[in-house]
Amino acid sequence: MKDLLSVVKSNRAVAENIYMITLALPESAGALHGGQFVNLATGDNSLLLRRPLGVCIAEGNELSLCYQVKGKGTKKLTEAKAGDELKVLLPLGNYFDLSEYKNIAVVGGGVGVFPLIAAIRENKDKNFYSYIGFRNKSAVCLLNELEASRSLKVTTDDGSYGDKGNAVQSFLADAEKLNIDAIISCGPPVMLKALKSGLASLGIKKPCFVSLEERMGCGMGACLVCVCKTSDGKNARVCKDGPVFEINSVEL
Amino acid sequence: MADLQVNICGVKFKNPVIAASGTYGFGREYNELYDISQIGGISTKGMTLEPRLGNPVPRIAEGTSVILNAVGLQNPGAEHFIKYDLPFLREKGLVIIANVAGKTLEDYGEICKKLDGLVDMVELNISCPNVRAGGMAFGIKPQSILEVTRVAKGGLKRTPLIVKLSPNVESIAVNAQSAEQGGADCVSLVNTFTGMVIDIEKRRPVIANNTGGVSGAGIKPIAVKMVYEAAHAVKIPVIGMGGIMTGEDALEFMMAGARAVQVGTANFANPNAMPEIIAQMNNWLDSRKIKSINEIIDTVIMN
Repeated sequence: MKDLLSVVKSNRAVAENIYMITLALPESAGALHGGQFVNLATGDNSLLLRRPLGVCIAEGNELSLCYQVKGKGTKKLTEAKAGDELKVLLPLGNYFDLSEYKNIAVVGGGVGVFPLIAAIRENKDKNFYSYIGFRNKSAVCLLNELEASRSLKVTTDDGSYGDKGNAVQSFLADAEKLNIDAIISCGPPVMLKALKSGLASLGIKKPCFVSLEERMGCGMGACLVCVCKTSDGKNARVCKDGPVFEINSVEL
Repeated sequence: MADLQVNICGVKFKNPVIAASGTYGFGREYNELYDISQIGGISTKGMTLEPRLGNPVPRIAEGTSVILNAVGLQNPGAEHFIKYDLPFLREKGLVIIANVAGKTLEDYGEICKKLDGLVDMVELNISCPNVRAGGMAFGIKPQSILEVTRVAKGGLKRTPLIVKLSPNVESIAVNAQSAEQGGADCVSLVNTFTGMVIDIEKRRPVIANNTGGVSGAGIKPIAVKMVYEAAHAVKIPVIGMGGIMTGEDALEFMMAGARAVQVGTANFANPNAMPEIIAQMNNWLDSRKIKSINEIIDTVIMN
């Protein structure tokens, strides 16, 4: 783990309210895996919390992260220009460990697609079957990064792009005929809940790894701010024990 | 290189910069970023006799130059600390301050007894604003501060007692005096101020607990004033905290009368904050040819 002073290379909108920021790191912070995240300063010193953003594209010492503009901090981040310097703490958290699997279903919703892209990019020898849902056409982005998938189905809630519906529905419709070893997923809590109950009702017992999101403090496991409930009634730290968990090991 | 060593209640600190309770866990995570043996001491995550799960999430919110938290004393219990974390911290050679809390007066006495002689100091958390029972309930009224301090002190034969004071009170000077009368060896302040942040789209507080403890740069002037008042109301040493982000901030607290400082929220904004603060304090002293940090304690000249 290092706290590095990165230089912004580019920062542009990739969909409505969604930006991709590319940072040049002054040195290597080691391998960055899909599911891991970084804690990025916003550039406004009056905002004391960093923004935890999932690794999307990591190439050499360049790192691209995507974020949705939601509040003051992400709004401030949109103002970052090429050449600006931002502190970034990385790498943080665990990742989608796919070493034991060959055929993997990918179920992503909205901004949840970004860490999944990183997982697909770093596992070029595996077969991915991707089911990606967006709110509507204006939210659709980075589909080119998903083209490495064996199959790709895109849905929108309103049918304005791809099929009408959501990622979980389109995955579950195919699930029984897919010959997969594992599932990876990231998206809003309601989507992950639907996935969990859908898998249970179809009796699909393949391992399913989900990446969770929670408001964070330190981002490195010290402050116990970002906890989730585990199935055995304990707390797990989303930032340190996660953000990737087996879907049945956590309460959603 | 200025001499940064301070001595509080007979406990020697290599420098006066202590990690504030709750922001630094038991030190393991920050030790993955830098060697934590550089810092003066650690006040551990607030511990109770039994493990606690704490509050529902979200537990954190942000304002301008401040954050709010309501973790609610999630901790693995004192037994777990003694077995797993204490040996790790001992190897690091920094001052170990066990921050402790309880639901009842008896809890405070018992947990102090359990830790007596095992840690370098005990810090009594009677000012946590985020738990329903205990916590701040003991830390508001002078009489209850006196009582809980007396009970805690009764459990400590070998280890000095710090009482951590709440700023959500009528008179910080009177409350500091109550801790002193109860037998405290030291007081630390300020804990967080209670506050609320509302999400106007949802018309709900951001934090699940509704309210949380406000900390960070924005509270510093209030904290400095309270530290000054407390330090001039008691004879026992004072440890100051509240919004310290830089070495200069730490020096302000020490000029106001603090013998050491604690750094909390700054660790979130800048995970290397503590080593940087120590270096900045040293540089400030060096550039003014001041040989020891002790020369600046309580040197503020009031107008």
